[in-house]
Amino acid sequence: MASKISKLSPADFLKLEPERENRIKEASSQALQHEDSYHPNQIANALHPDVQHLKVEKVDAFSDDVKTYTLVADQEAGTDKIAYFSAGQYLSVRLKVGSIELTRPYSISSSPKNALEGYYQLTIKRVEGGLASEYILDNWAVGTKVSVSAPQGVFTYERLRDAKVVIGIAGGSGITPFRSLAKAIHDGDEDCSLILLYGSRTKDDILFLDEFNAMVGDKFKLVNVLSAGEMEGAESGFITADLIKKYAPEGNYSIFLCGPQAMYNFVDKEIEKLGLRKKFIRHELFGEYRNPEKESDYPQEVVGKTFKLKVVMAGAVSEVECNANETMLSAMERGGVLAPANCRSGECGWCHSRLVSGEVYVPTRGDGRRLADLKFGYVHPCMTFPLSDCEIDVPPFKA
Amino acid sequence: MNNYDVIVVGAGNGGLAAAANTTKAGLKTLLLEKHNLPGGCATSFRRGRFEFEPSLHELCGVGTKEKPDDIYNIFASLGADVEWRYEDTMYRTIVRGENGYDVTLKAFREPFYDSMEAAVPGCREKVKAFIELNDKCDAALDYVAKKNGNPNPLVMIFKHADFMRCASHSTEQILDALEMPEKAKNILTTYWGYLGVPTDELNCLHFLSMLTSYMDNGAAMPHLRSHELSLSLCDVIIKNGGEIRYNSEVTEFLYNEDGSIAGVVANGEKLYAKEVISNVIANNVFARSDAKKIPERDVKLANARTFGMSVATIYLGLDATADEIGIKDYTVFVANDGNARAQDDNRLNYGFYIVNCLNKVVPDASPEGTCQMFFTMPLNGSDIPKDLKPEEYKKYKNDLAEKYIRDYEQLMGINIMDHIEEISIATPVTFARYLGTPEGTIYGYRTSGWDNVIIRNQSQVKDNGIKNLCFCGGHGILGDGYSSAYKTGEEAGIRVVNKLKGGK
Repeated sequence: MASKISKLSPADFLKLEPERENRIKEASSQALQHEDSYHPNQIANALHPDVQHLKVEKVDAFSDDVKTYTLVADQEAGTDKIAYFSAGQYLSVRLKVGSIELTRPYSISSSPKNALEGYYQLTIKRVEGGLASEYILDNWAVGTKVSVSAPQGVFTYERLRDAKVVIGIAGGSGITPFRSLAKAIHDGDEDCSLILLYGSRTKDDILFLDEFNAMVGDKFKLVNVLSAGEMEGAESGFITADLIKKYAPEGNYSIFLCGPQAMYNFVDKEIEKLGLRKKFIRHELFGEYRNPEKESDYPQEVVGKTFKLKVVMAGAVSEVECNANETMLSAMERGGVLAPANCRSGECGWCHSRLVSGEVYVPTRGDGRRLADLKFGYVHPCMTFPLSDCEIDVPPFKA
Repeated sequence: MNNYDVIVVGAGNGGLAAAANTTKAGLKTLLLEKHNLPGGCATSFRRGRFEFEPSLHELCGVGTKEKPDDIYNIFASLGADVEWRYEDTMYRTIVRGENGYDVTLKAFREPFYDSMEAAVPGCREKVKAFIELNDKCDAALDYVAKKNGNPNPLVMIFKHADFMRCASHSTEQILDALEMPEKAKNILTTYWGYLGVPTDELNCLHFLSMLTSYMDNGAAMPHLRSHELSLSLCDVIIKNGGEIRYNSEVTEFLYNEDGSIAGVVANGEKLYAKEVISNVIANNVFARSDAKKIPERDVKLANARTFGMSVATIYLGLDATADEIGIKDYTVFVANDGNARAQDDNRLNYGFYIVNCLNKVVPDASPEGTCQMFFTMPLNGSDIPKDLKPEEYKKYKNDLAEKYIRDYEQLMGINIMDHIEEISIATPVTFARYLGTPEGTIYGYRTSGWDNVIIRNQSQVKDNGIKNLCFCGGHGILGDGYSSAYKTGEEAGIRVVNKLKGGK
C-alpha cells in the first residue's frame, strides 16, 4: 500500500532548504514594524490604553457633597484621545493624598457618545470619612491633572445575554452608570429599554432629575422611590419585590443593581422573592469590603491585631503594617506602596499577587479568584485580610 | 543584583517551560511578563460564576502516568502539579450539503480505523497506511537523532524514503498519492485548523505527527483550565529559586559591541544576562532592538514570513446542563464544505467553526446545573475590516457571535441563546491586547509550505544570528500549539543549561 506514494520523489526533500534560503534572500531587509502599527493592535490600544492622562475641564456642583467633573484628554501629558466605552463601565482613578497613593473605581456618568465628543464625566458623592471622595471634592478644580485607567468592568448591557427590558435599581450615587445607560439608549447606542427605579432619601437628593425627565419616552421610564418625604409621581418607601412587579413588563426582564451595600442587603432579598434566573440579575461591583469580622467564618481572635506585610515588587522589597480589618491593598497604599488595582472588589483580578507566606482571610462573597489560584496560593490583595504576618509578591503598577 | 544567568522574556507556554528548566538546573533565572498573569493564551478568566478556558481545545502528546508521552513527561519531570482529564473521542465533524457527512472519530488506532471504515467503507487500509507513515517517519527521526543530525544520505534514501516524501510534500499530496477517497480525505484533514494552514499547503509530516499524537494518547485537558498549567510551571520556577516579574514588559533589548545580546530593559531598569530566551516573536524583539545589531538574514527571514492564524472565540456560560440543552459532544467541527482550503477561504462566510463543551471532559468545569461552551473560528488579524473603528468593535463582535450561535442552534436543533448567563467574545483584537503579537496572531508564523517545521528544524542554527539569544513558543521551530510551545521551551531551556553548565 505504501508503495503508492513511491510516485512522489523523496529527493524533493533536498529542495526544501534551497527554496527557503531563496525566499529569505529575496525578502525585504527593511527594519521590522512595531506591533502597534497593525490595525487589530491599534483597536486594542485605543480601547484599552494602560493609562489615560486627563484634566478637569469643568466642574458642576450639585451641592458641596456631590459634583460632576468633566474630564478631557491631556495631550501635553501624552493622551491624544480618550478611550470609547460601554455604558456601565468605570474608570479607576489614581490619586495621591499626602503620602498615600491609591486608586478608586468610579462609574462613568456620561454617555459613550460623549467619549467620542472628547469627554468623560464622573459624578462623585462625598462619603463621610472616605479618603478618595473627600480629596476629590475638596481639591479637584478646572485644570487639575488626573490619570485614570482604561474603561473597565462588565456591568454593561449585553444584547445576546440580557432581556430587552432592563429594570435598573439605583441607590444614591449608584445612579451614575444608569445616567450613562439612559443617555446611550437616548443616543441610539444601546437597543434595550430601561425602567429605572431610583431610590433616594428625599426629593432634594435626586441627582440629574431634570435631565432624566427630559429623556423619558418609549425606551426610558423613571420611577423615583423616596424613603423619606414625598414628591408627586414618586413612590414612597423602599424598592420591594412588589414595587418591581408593579413596573415590570410582561415576559422577561433583566435587573441591574447599583448602589450602596445597605441597598444590596435589602433589595437582594426582595429580588429573591421574584424567582428570577441568575442570568437576569446583574450587580455592579460591590466595592471596598469592610468589617470582615462580621462574617461567621472569620477567626475572632485576630480582631484588633496589626501584622507586618512584606511586599516584593519587581525585585524591590518593602514592609508595611496591615491591620487585621484592612485589605492588603489598602495597607500597601497607606504605607506608600503603589499597587495595581482596578475594581477593588475582588473581582477583576488586576491586583493578582502571590502569597509567599502567612495566613489570610478572603470573604467568600468577594472571592473572585480563579480555581488554580487557590491551588497554588495566589490572592487578590483588594479582597484579602491578613491573619498573621505575611509576605506577598505583587506586580508593579502599570502606567 | 541585575545580573542573571538567564532572562526569559514572556511567560507564555514556551517561556514558562524554558524558565522552569533553567531554574531546575540551578541557573539564576528571571522571567519577565508584560501582562499581570502568566500563560499568554494558557490562562483563564472569570465572569460571574463561570471560569472560562480561553484557548485550549485539547492537548496532544500528554498520555497517562502509566503510558506517559512528551507533555506528561515535561510536567512530571519538572515536578509540576497538574491534574489531567482525558477524552477518547477525537472529534465529531459535520459537513453540510449534498456531499455532507456527520462522523464521530474515536481515538486510538483501531477504533479510529473502525470509525473511518464505517464512514467511508473500504478506506480502512488506506487510512492505516497513511497513519503508519508517521511510524516510519519516527523511525527515520530516531536514526537522524542517533547520528546527531548527520545521517548517511544513502541510508536515508534507501531506508527512509517515505520520511523524505512526507517531510517534503503537503498532506494532500500524500493522501492523493495513496488514492484516498475524497470523503475520507476530508474527514482525515478535519484538524487542519489546529495548525492554521490548509492541508494542501501543510507539510504532511507536521500534520501526521499532530494527528497521531491525539490519536495515540487521546486528548487531555487540565482540571482547572489552562491557568493550572501555567501556575504549575510558575510553582516550579519559584520553588527552584527563579524570579518572575509581571507587568514588566521588555521595552528594549540590549546588545554588546560584538552583536551578542547583553540583556533587556524592563520597568526602566537595565537587566543583564548571559543568555536571553525569547518567548516573544522575533518581530517584536527586533522592533525593540537597535536595528544595526540585527543581522540582515534575521531581518529578511522575519520579513519573508507571514503571520500565522488567529481566531475568534465566543465563550458562553449557560444556565442549563449540556444534557438539558442537548449537547452530546466535546468537540464538533462544522463546515459547509469538507475541503480544508475551501473552509479557510470561506472563513468569513461562517463556513467553518468548532464548538466545544468543556463539561464533557471536565464535568465540574462550571457550577451544578450549568455548562460552558466555546465556539472557535479562524479569523486573522488582517480579516478585521480595515475601516472598523474602536467604537464599532463591540457591535462587530456581537454580530459575529450571534451568527455562529444561531447557525449552530439551527444545525443541531437546540436552544443556546435563551440560556446565556455569561458571554464574552474574543477576536484578534483581544489577542493583540493580551499577547501583544502583531495582528493578534496566535500561531506565530504561518507554517506554510516553504517555512514548514521540518526545514525550520534543520535551519535552526542559521536562523538565529544573534549570539546568546534563542527563541521558543508558538512562533518557534515546531510551529503553533500548546504542545509545540512547551517542547520548544523545554528545548531552549536545556540548550541554555548545557551551554552554561557544560554537557552536550
